Order: sequence, then C-alpha cells, then structure tokens
Amino acid sequence: MIGEYLDPRKEFGKAVTELAKANEKIVVLSADSGKSSGFGDFVKQYPDRYFECGIMEQGVIGVASGLATTGKIPVFCAIAPFVTARPFEMFRNDLGYMKQNVKVVGRNCGISYSDLGATHHSLEDFAIIRMIPGVVVLAPQDPTEIRTAVRAMIEHEGPVYMRIGNPKIPVLFDEQPFVIGKGRIIREGTDVTIISTGSTTKAAMEAADSLLKQGVSVRLIGMPTVCPIDEELVIESALKTKRIITVEEHYTDGGLGTLVSELCSTKCPVRVKRLGIPKTYASSGPYDELLAYYSLDAKGIEKSTLEFLK
Amino acid sequence: MTDFNEIAFLELTASKCRENVIRMIKASEHGHIGGALSCLDIVTAVYFHAMNIDPADPKKEDRDRFILSAGHKCLAQYAVLAEKGYFPKSILDTYGSLHSKMPGHPDMHKLPGVEANTGALGHGLSIACGMALGLRNEHSDAKIYVVMGDGELPEGSNWEAASVASHYHLDNIVLFVDNNGLQISGKVEEVMNMTPIDERFKAFGWAVKNIDGNDMREIVDTLDSIPLEKGKPTAIIAHTVKCKGLAEGEGNAAFHYWSPSREEAEAAEEEIKKRTLALEQKSGEKI
Repeated sequence: MIGEYLDPRKEFGKAVTELAKANEKIVVLSADSGKSSGFGDFVKQYPDRYFECGIMEQGVIGVASGLATTGKIPVFCAIAPFVTARPFEMFRNDLGYMKQNVKVVGRNCGISYSDLGATHHSLEDFAIIRMIPGVVVLAPQDPTEIRTAVRAMIEHEGPVYMRIGNPKIPVLFDEQPFVIGKGRIIREGTDVTIISTGSTTKAAMEAADSLLKQGVSVRLIGMPTVCPIDEELVIESALKTKRIITVEEHYTDGGLGTLVSELCSTKCPVRVKRLGIPKTYASSGPYDELLAYYSLDAKGIEKSTLEFLK
Repeated sequence: MTDFNEIAFLELTASKCRENVIRMIKASEHGHIGGALSCLDIVTAVYFHAMNIDPADPKKEDRDRFILSAGHKCLAQYAVLAEKGYFPKSILDTYGSLHSKMPGHPDMHKLPGVEANTGALGHGLSIACGMALGLRNEHSDAKIYVVMGDGELPEGSNWEAASVASHYHLDNIVLFVDNNGLQISGKVEEVMNMTPIDERFKAFGWAVKNIDGNDMREIVDTLDSIPLEKGKPTAIIAHTVKCKGLAEGEGNAAFHYWSPSREEAEAAEEEIKKRTLALEQKSGEKI
C-alpha cells in the first residue's frame, strides 16, 4: 500500500525466499550476515541451500563464484562496504572477469548505518562496482521496487550488485515490472530535471512537489538502475529541461551524478549539478539529521535546486 | 600401486609438456618458467592420471575440475592441456601474441579446459570451495584439484577458504602446495615465513601429506589415496625444485620469470628434447 513503511532488508529477504521456492538454483551465502539480511525464513526452509561462512567477505565472493560455476545462483548480502570495497578484487576477477551469475547485495548502504561511522558507510560502491565490466548496479527506491528488482536480478544472467538501506522506507510506487537499465518518470516538468536513485527518491519527490507550489516545474526521474544507465531517458530529459540535478546517497564523485555528467558531456551538453556527500569521511549521528546535514533531505534538495536555477 | 609402465608414460608426458613450455617461451621470448616447471609433474599427473575429463567435451557435467590458483604458472597448465588434446599444439605458438587465447594468466572464456580466471593470488581455493559445495549439493562425486604456490600462502583469503573447506568437510578438494621455496624476491621463508606449512593446514582441519612433488611415483601414489581422510580436505605439500628440468634454472629464483635470447631458448629446447628422447628409450625398453 502506498505510504506504508516497510523494512527493506526483510522485503529483500522475503522476495529471495519466495523466488527460491520455484527456483532451486538459488542459494544464499552469509558472512554472519544472513539473518540480519532478511534470510531468517530462507534458513528454515532451505537449510541445504544456505551456506554460512562466518565473517570473511573476500572468501565468500570466491565461494559464490565457484558455486555459480556449478549452475547455482548465489545471493550474498551483507553490510555494503564489506561486500564492495573490502573484496573488490574478488568482485572484479571472480565475478566480473569470470562472468559469474552471482548476486551481491549491499545493505545498510550509503550513510544509513549513520551512527556507526565511516567504516560502516558505503559512499563509493556505485563508483567502484560500476567500473567492473558486465556488472549491473541496482538501487531500488522503495519496497515495491526492491521486490521487483530482486526478481529482475535473479532472472538476469550475470553478476549484479544491488544496494538497499536500513531503516523502514515507505512504499512510493504501485508494482510494475522492473526492467534493468530503465528509469521511470515520476513527475513531468519543464524547468529542471531531478534524477534520483535509491533511498533519496522519496525526498526528491517531496522536493519536487514543494518546488511546484513555488512555480518550479520539475521533471523527476527515478533511476533504480545506476549501471547501465538509461541513456535515452537522460538525454531526453537534458533536451527537454536543459538542466539536470542528480541526487544520491553516495559521493558526488563517481556515482549517478558522474554517470549523468559523462553521458551529457558526450551526447547532450547541459549543466549538471550533483547532490550527494562530498568526498570526505562522513560524520555520524541520527540518520535523518545526517541526511539533512548533507542537504539530502527534501528541504536540502529544494534549496539546492532553487540555487541551481538562479 | 600404479605399474611401472604408467609411471614411465607420465614421466615421458611431463617431459613432452616441458617441451611445450619452452615452445611457448620461445614464441613469446618470456614467461614465468620457474613455477611452471616446478609444478609441471603434478599438473601432468593430475590431468593424465587422476582427473575424470574428456578433452572433446571440456564442459561435461561430471568432470573433475582443476584450478591453478597460482595463475602465473599457466605455462604448465597450457602445456598439459595441449598435450592432453584440448586444443591443437599450434596454439602454443600464439603465447604472448596479440589476442592470444593464452594470456599470461589463464582465462576460462578463451581456452577450453580452464575453469577459473586466476592470476591475482589467493583466489583459487575460495573458488574451489564454491565448486566443491555446489557439486556436492548436486550429489556429484567430482573432485576439485588446486595448485597453489608457496609464495601465495601469506594471502589471507587462502586461510578464509581453508576454513570453509574444513568447516564443510570438503573432502572433494585436493590442494597441492607447490613448495619450491623460492619466490620473485628470494627464499619464501625469508620473504614471509609460512612454515610449518603442513602444521598450518593440519591446524585448519585438513588432512596433510608431504611428498616429493617432482617424483612421479610419489605424486601418483598420493593421488590414488585421496581423500587422505574421509570428511577432510586434502593438502599435499609438494616439495619441488623451481624450474625443474632445466639445469641452469633449477633452484634459481632468477628463473621465476625468464626472458631468454633465441640461443638460450634453443639450448633449453635441446636439453629437454634429449630428456624426452632418453625417457622414450627407457619406456621402449620397459614396455
């Protein structure tokens, strides 16, 4: 139901567990991370398809690769920096280079493990994983998209990285098929395009609505696939509004904003403003307050947009 | 115990594979020869004696797998795959050339018989663990053979994988540690002392055996006794000689990577061909 708040990890785990009923190839790997990734029911229902490895994320990526060579579809979920930055070379070689059908999910992404500090933040995962050829990078924006993205991720043949958050998030969208590489137009508008991905889309929607009341017509694009990016939609938006703002719970460097900038500078030069966390070790504290500090709440996005349009 | 004829055949085959190694180095004028020749007797025995494989059907479902964790020793694997008939030997002459199917570290998508893209050290055993779990889950009896260099033992990921293998009782994994004692900077024990290697693996829950890794009969007898202990992964600490089979390079860390002149490569070729000829004559007398 639209507006209902749900736990992204539970929704993710539930979606995988449901698919595992019909798809016996799905196996789950854990680095002491399975139960907190929503796999409590999976463990009970499919104990022979659940491999606990303890805290060894590098090893787990290799094990997942080996499992995939035997036809399994391994799903590995743990805290985002520990499945991306820590085992990056294993991700690159064992999954990317070997083209293995493994699904890695980074939970508690961005700064959503806010108070735990920079070791537990993941602000470069888009940047590093999107540089691995052949890896799809997903950032579903609400519980409905998490469910549909999980289905798309499992159906996709090849390595996928998906990031999900930590606190409960509201349902924003009615269910529709998730197409990898396609964004969605959430609001039509003519003055500026805001492109958001993952956790920031709710705030971007609120900002767009508030801006409209102030006479600013925002075209709002939700971009749950970061890589490969929906080139057609970005270029169409650039042509239509001439100005683009990107919003992401990620460094302003290397992620969605960089992808959009790269694309526009090559194919349709327009001004692009990138909202996100500056390249620093982010501070800690309550999640909402931290997002506001980095201007990633609705008010911050609204203010940044007005400044950009001056 | 395996009969004399087979041992003689395997020794002869290993010598032919050494010729293949030199053929590739001659073509490219360089290569990681030291480790390739130290593990070559093992790789030959694994492919020609132990593995359930079919070069005509390299992806057959119940096949045993071989992973060269020390991917830089790929000359050994390429030489053996060619000798086994996975691809024409003419491909050996492309080693080092543009778009070769045989890069300086193996690529499973380019060459039949290669099961993993290794080269970055410390990856092979984790991948082997995944294969072992997946195959066991499918009720397959297939084994996974891994060759690891002693120089890559300090990689922490190896010990992550060693834990997985014993925790899940993966007795379908057979690990050879190619313990030639030398790495690019010198003696392994001086670069980073990982001794006692056997005791380390034992402590991680493995069944362990020390062998002479250049003695074909010892290798074959060991392969015939796998798993050493039911329910435990097997680690064979294979004491080998770096660059085994090439007199000038034997036990010489400088031969970790070799860029010979044409004359040096031809001399090596000649030396190994003589060895092959002698083994052929020996086989002929005994068979």
